[in-house]
Amino acid sequence: MAEVALRNVSKKYDEVEAVRNVNLEIPDKEFLVLVGPSGCGKSTTLRMIAGLEEVSGGDIFIGTEKVNDVPPKDRDIAMVFQNYALYPHMTVFENMSFGLRLRRVPKPEIRERVEHAAKILDITDLLQRRPKQLSGGQRQRVAMGRAIVRNPKVFLFDEPLSNLDAKLRVQMRTEIKRVHQKVKTTTVYVTHDQVEAMTLADRVVVMNGGRVDQVGTPNDLYHKPRTRFVAGFIGSPTMNFIPCGLQQSGAGLNLQISDKLSFPVPENRAPKYKALVGKELVLGLRPEHITEPRSEQRGSACEFTVPLDVVEPMGMETMVFFTVKGIEVCGRVEPSSAKGPGEPMRLYANLDHMHLIDPASDLVL
Amino acid sequence: MKLSLRGVATEARLLLIGIPLLLWTMLPIYHLFLFAISPKDSAFAGNLWPDHPTLRNFAVVFGEQHYYLSHFWRQLFNSLVIALAVGAITLLVAAAAAFAISRLKVKGGRTVMNLALFTYFIPAAFLAVPMYRTMGIYGLLNSQWALIWAMVTIAAPYAIWVLKQASDKLPYELDEAAVIDGASPLQLFRLVYVPLIMPSLVAVGTYAILLAWNEYLYAFLLLSKDTDVTLAVGLGNFLAADDSPWELLMATGLIYALPPAAIYYAFKRYMVAGLTAGAVKG
Repeated sequence: MAEVALRNVSKKYDEVEAVRNVNLEIPDKEFLVLVGPSGCGKSTTLRMIAGLEEVSGGDIFIGTEKVNDVPPKDRDIAMVFQNYALYPHMTVFENMSFGLRLRRVPKPEIRERVEHAAKILDITDLLQRRPKQLSGGQRQRVAMGRAIVRNPKVFLFDEPLSNLDAKLRVQMRTEIKRVHQKVKTTTVYVTHDQVEAMTLADRVVVMNGGRVDQVGTPNDLYHKPRTRFVAGFIGSPTMNFIPCGLQQSGAGLNLQISDKLSFPVPENRAPKYKALVGKELVLGLRPEHITEPRSEQRGSACEFTVPLDVVEPMGMETMVFFTVKGIEVCGRVEPSSAKGPGEPMRLYANLDHMHLIDPASDLVL
Repeated sequence: MKLSLRGVATEARLLLIGIPLLLWTMLPIYHLFLFAISPKDSAFAGNLWPDHPTLRNFAVVFGEQHYYLSHFWRQLFNSLVIALAVGAITLLVAAAAAFAISRLKVKGGRTVMNLALFTYFIPAAFLAVPMYRTMGIYGLLNSQWALIWAMVTIAAPYAIWVLKQASDKLPYELDEAAVIDGASPLQLFRLVYVPLIMPSLVAVGTYAILLAWNEYLYAFLLLSKDTDVTLAVGLGNFLAADDSPWELLMATGLIYALPPAAIYYAFKRYMVAGLTAGAVKG
């Protein structure tokens, strides 16, 4: 049990800077997820915490100890790898107890700890099998078991679910969450899947190009993204981005999307956006905020009619795609109210959830 | 099984290549066998099968009842000890080197391996004199260690290369997992690396043993006492006289050829799998 801290950590490979000035404070027992596209530096950051990569700059602390020059085996961490990295020539029991045996833990204690971990993971029946005889999900459990028996200060997960099929991935996701609730060890988890990040994390770190774009709870990231990248990366289907401008209109502001399409900005937002009048901006609006007009919604000023390009029924909702200024926009509507492709449909833009982005800096304003 | 026309054609072509190849390799061995079971006076009769096949030659060999065979058992034992020693030392050297190059990624490791492989460009006969000098400097001449070290030198580059190819195929995460689990490099070598490349180790060990077992030139050069030499050299000594006892030479040769054949068949599975490891993506 320990907190982890990264202070100005960076990693350079020759000329390439893979990780730049990352600062993170991870409190004890937190489940922190690093998420981002491939090559964003999330795995490198994790490997630096593990000690598998050297730190080029900055400091890493586990507990109160600075671990920059501490070898991995003395950092008291356990890691679960994407390809499980089980020792093929050892049984499940031997795999799980390997670390303990190397540390010369007495045999009865090893047995006890392995059996305890096996019980948590429901793999007691598999202890005498070899990895070859296990399914993907079972291997994943063993890999987690190997981490749990060590009872380390920190768990590190490097894309542990990427090799599983979609159904199993969801199942194991729940499993990991369940295990963390039981074991309560500080966890750093790397994934490129934002759904995994949102569902598992206490806090999510979105990384992009070696930098941390934003750190926050899943809801924070979803509702208050700080950059266009975070806004686009979190949420599925992704947020719509439409170029727009602001115009003064009486006491309020008008959001001008095209000559024909403009909406009044909600009153509570107007003061905040006042300074942006006349500038080139990008509107960010999630698909669920473009719906069919609903009775509880105010005014028809935010309603508009567009011909639909593509209609995708999902069962509990239907995705509708249409084009605004050459950009494809997605909305989520009630299946019963959806029109067919090519037909015009009356839609409502819920601007209470709008984001305005400065295209020059890509920051959310 | 259904035989398609295409399958028959392929099969026929394979047989067309295979049968001559088989004859080509079997003919000398048949000759060897023929001599070995012929009595002395009819050895050169040129028959496809001797008129009076006999096992007397083997009795003579096992009983050391001929001048050239006076140290038969001793020399066979020498061959065995030297071959096994070469096999063991080569394995130790090559496994450690391949581990360092492939897994620990020691700087300059690849260069060292390539330099070692480069020695194969120089025929062993050219290196015989330098090797003799070197062993002289170390005071190893007339010691079986001279032959053992020389053969290890010759076997090691190829062994390192094969083991490195096999090692490169192991997922690197295994090492990382072991390192995080707390394994030192030596524990990693002993507990994870060696068990996993065992098939390749068997192949390479067999290769080194056979290489040493079959060696003539270096054995002839580096060892001189009749009680020190290997049986391969002992066989060569048969040809020192004008009227060599061919039937005994061939009988001894047949005996000498049996252990390698046995070893090869015992480890055939590993030989094919181990020596081609890394050649194609598994």
